[in-house]
Amino acid sequence: MKHLPKHLRPRWRYLAVEIESWPDASIDRRAFQRECWYAGQNLLGDPGSARAELSVLQFEFSADAGVGEALVKVRHGWTDEARAALACIDEIDGQPVGVRVSGISGTIRAAEEKYLGRRGQDSEERNVVFGNEERVAVVRDESVDVRLDAAFAGTTDLDYDYDLA
Amino acid sequence: MYEAVHAHPDGQSTVARLAKTAAEFSFEGVVVRNRADERAEFDAERIGDEYGIDVVEGIEIDADDVEQASGAVGNYRTDETIITVAGGTPAMNRFAVENEKVDVLARPMTAGGDVNHVLAKAAVENGVRFEFDLSGVLRTHGGRRVRIIQSLRKLADIVDHYDAPYVVSASPQSHLELRAPRDLAALGEQLGLSSSFVEAGLEEWGRMAERNRRIQSESFIEPGVERGRYEEEH
Repeated sequence: MKHLPKHLRPRWRYLAVEIESWPDASIDRRAFQRECWYAGQNLLGDPGSARAELSVLQFEFSADAGVGEALVKVRHGWTDEARAALACIDEIDGQPVGVRVSGISGTIRAAEEKYLGRRGQDSEERNVVFGNEERVAVVRDESVDVRLDAAFAGTTDLDYDYDLA
Repeated sequence: MYEAVHAHPDGQSTVARLAKTAAEFSFEGVVVRNRADERAEFDAERIGDEYGIDVVEGIEIDADDVEQASGAVGNYRTDETIITVAGGTPAMNRFAVENEKVDVLARPMTAGGDVNHVLAKAAVENGVRFEFDLSGVLRTHGGRRVRIIQSLRKLADIVDHYDAPYVVSASPQSHLELRAPRDLAALGEQLGLSSSFVEAGLEEWGRMAERNRRIQSESFIEPGVERGRYEEEH
């Protein structure tokens, strides 16, 4: 079909989203897309989520570091609704996640250049002493996620008196 | 804007990690409100300097009965900047709003708790703030979430009518549960609380910390009483 004339095409906004979880979490694009739509539907209802769109255009997640980012397409004028819906994503496939909209742009390229790829994703494992016990931790950009018996604890290098390097 | 957090061992992330993440989310401060039996050891000044955020020492009193809560409020009032009392039963809600030493009545609408005009008037008189706890909206689903939203709207109607003081929090227990102020404001808008209402509630934590610090500082004598310029230090 012939595409629409420019004044009839919908206008979009692109939300750059930062995602964080514990190390080892595996989150893929499909799972994140599903959660976006569920969150939209639960908060905005079917008509609201249909109008907001909330489709994931780009997705990247580093399982080692437990951080990732995504680009979400939203209809112009629905960015606040989309923000609210994204804030309600608390877990993906049973893995707790933190979600934050880091910026909004009118074009994909501007969103990529301004808001994506700013966070360090390099991580490494170190041994730390947490709660008087030696533990393995994943260190990324001063953040230290300590592996406990059945869970993780979120710490930073300030929690250790000695220099981690 | 400030966020009131539960840090390790009451939560999963340490004060430092919560402060670091909150600073990245453009919060101006965090209030550490661990429960009395799960206190965190931390150096508020060092963490604050490192991440450029105000770290406020507080406590949440989660007692079984009013006598116990009353004792705890008296014990901690002199040392802690902010005291919150976990509500949720008619007796605890009433105790908190009638006690001017309490700063915040946390989660007044959870479980069997409820708020009415009598409590609202008492809260206005004693300067006790009602907490709008958004954690249930952020982290539950289905029918439970519907009821939580209903209870928040009821509380909003009462607070609005009596112009009662209030605070807003997402009550994070880890850095993953933190949400940025703008995201919380957008969520408030969807719940019918308006974004300026949510922002004012997040700012109230900071105002409260500033006021209590001034009152607890050594230079404060009594309300309205100041050391004059003619007074000489001996």
